[in-house]
Amino acid sequence: MSSFSKSPWIIHYDASSCNGCDIETLACLTPLFDVERLGVINTGNPKHADIFVVTGAVNEQSRDVIRNIYHQLGEPKVVVAVGACAASGGIFAECYNISGGVDSVIPVDVYVPGCAARPEAIIDGVVQALGILERKKKEMAAMANSLDKALYLRADKSDAPEILALQKTAYQSEGEIYGDDSVPALHQTLEEIQKDFDRPERVFIKAVVNGKIIGSVRGYAAEGTANISRASVHPYFQHRGIGHRLLQEIEKAFPNVKRFEVFTGQKSERNLKHLRKHGYKEFKTEQGTPAITWVYLQKERK
Amino acid sequence: MSPWIRLVIYLVGAPLLGGVLAGWDRRISARMQSRRGPPILQPFYDVMKLCQKENVVVRRSQNYYIFFFLVLVIFTGALFFAGSDLLLVVFALTLAAIFFVLGAYKASSPYSFIGAERELIQMMAYEPMVLLVAIGMYMVTKSFYVHEIASHNTLLVLALPGIFLGFLYTLEIKFRKSPFDLSSSHHAHQELVRGITTEFSGRTLAMIEIAHWYETVFLLGWVYLFFASLPVVGVVASLLVFVFVILVDNVFARLKWQTAVRGAWAVAVVLGFGNIVVLSLLPLLR
Repeated sequence: MSSFSKSPWIIHYDASSCNGCDIETLACLTPLFDVERLGVINTGNPKHADIFVVTGAVNEQSRDVIRNIYHQLGEPKVVVAVGACAASGGIFAECYNISGGVDSVIPVDVYVPGCAARPEAIIDGVVQALGILERKKKEMAAMANSLDKALYLRADKSDAPEILALQKTAYQSEGEIYGDDSVPALHQTLEEIQKDFDRPERVFIKAVVNGKIIGSVRGYAAEGTANISRASVHPYFQHRGIGHRLLQEIEKAFPNVKRFEVFTGQKSERNLKHLRKHGYKEFKTEQGTPAITWVYLQKERK
Repeated sequence: MSPWIRLVIYLVGAPLLGGVLAGWDRRISARMQSRRGPPILQPFYDVMKLCQKENVVVRRSQNYYIFFFLVLVIFTGALFFAGSDLLLVVFALTLAAIFFVLGAYKASSPYSFIGAERELIQMMAYEPMVLLVAIGMYMVTKSFYVHEIASHNTLLVLALPGIFLGFLYTLEIKFRKSPFDLSSSHHAHQELVRGITTEFSGRTLAMIEIAHWYETVFLLGWVYLFFASLPVVGVVASLLVFVFVILVDNVFARLKWQTAVRGAWAVAVVLGFGNIVVLSLLPLLR
């Protein structure tokens, strides 16, 4: 056991519903259960927390809050969904304003059953989360040490689920920028991405470290133009040149085109800066969703 | 013992002792609340974990201020344990606290701002008393040098009872314990999120923790000065003061900042200044 599993700091958020699990979670801190003996601190600050404990089903109001808190937790982090409502929406699942369990918004690592979940079960859930936290930390440390040995390869259809999961993690920050759910990359389904793999003109590039995909980009060529999209790098490994290499690799994958085209949202300053650095220039804008205006950029091959 | 040896012992030993004291703090608090409490080494596990976490920042520069906060806190303690001028120690301590506040301001988040403002208010509250402690010690020993105060042959606390009590009051503020945990609380009060430390995470938060360990040892060293002519009594008294601070932390609710400032100044005037007036009048009566 390393220091990680000895010092789990928790942030707890009650998304909606009856507050039963909420109260049982706080009961874990009482003298009877005293989770502090395991080193647990119940903090109100996501930036200090390692474990995100969510109770209750997700509704229209709590969805953005959950995404926001999740985004502010430093890596490595785990999410524990406590109670039936947090797992699936529970008895509120059919309500008009409920979008389902916590996993309809953010990736969940541990589900604690019960209605309300008993404090013993919640503590057990947290202890299991520690194992996952430990594993994530090891994987990240190993990967961070071998980033320079990353392989940039063509992806095939079997990579689709992993690329999709990566895309949803990486685009959380975009969802944050626009404050609504309309970022298309967050809505793509596995069927859609698999269908893309079946189209012969599509090229998928993946960045692989220690057998795990930490970055990907895709594109297709039509009428002498290569359309590049969905560049994603895992948040933990951003700003280390992986996006840069992915762009180079995908450009190399289309040797016969004269022109490259990409698009991003008007408020995604970081993406725009990155693309301009690669020689892309803006040439048109287009209303995408109510919140997002797409900015199209192009580059001629020299 | 030469000042250099004391310095080395302080630099190496203070974080170890401070960490263990922080562990005791949590354990004793838990026992007072009839809980089991974490292991004594828990603060070390926390810091080791924080060093491996991602360092989320609003502005990168906020972390440099915290680095200087740590360096200056270590410097303050180093001056003290090397036996230097007590006034210089007080000013170095203030400078360190100022860097902490600047770091929190730099992060520009509302919680961090309120924490920083309250930290300034707390400094305003304890600063007069801290200076009076130095002056009181000078009046008895005729020296501002820590090594001369420490080797003075009278028990300072007998001549400075008011100043000692005032210093206890100051310690509560300096340790950020209830009823003075205004800027950042160790407990689950969450209305300020984490106050002054809200925007610091990962390695930077670990630096803040380590700075607190150094600070704890330095402040308890200062308590020891009141009993320096009887070393064993001094060590026991310092530890008792530490337990007393924890007890007060668990017994009291938080004060409003106005009450905290007024209370601290009233204590400084009545106990601190009163003690000094009595000291200066005594020779006239004889």
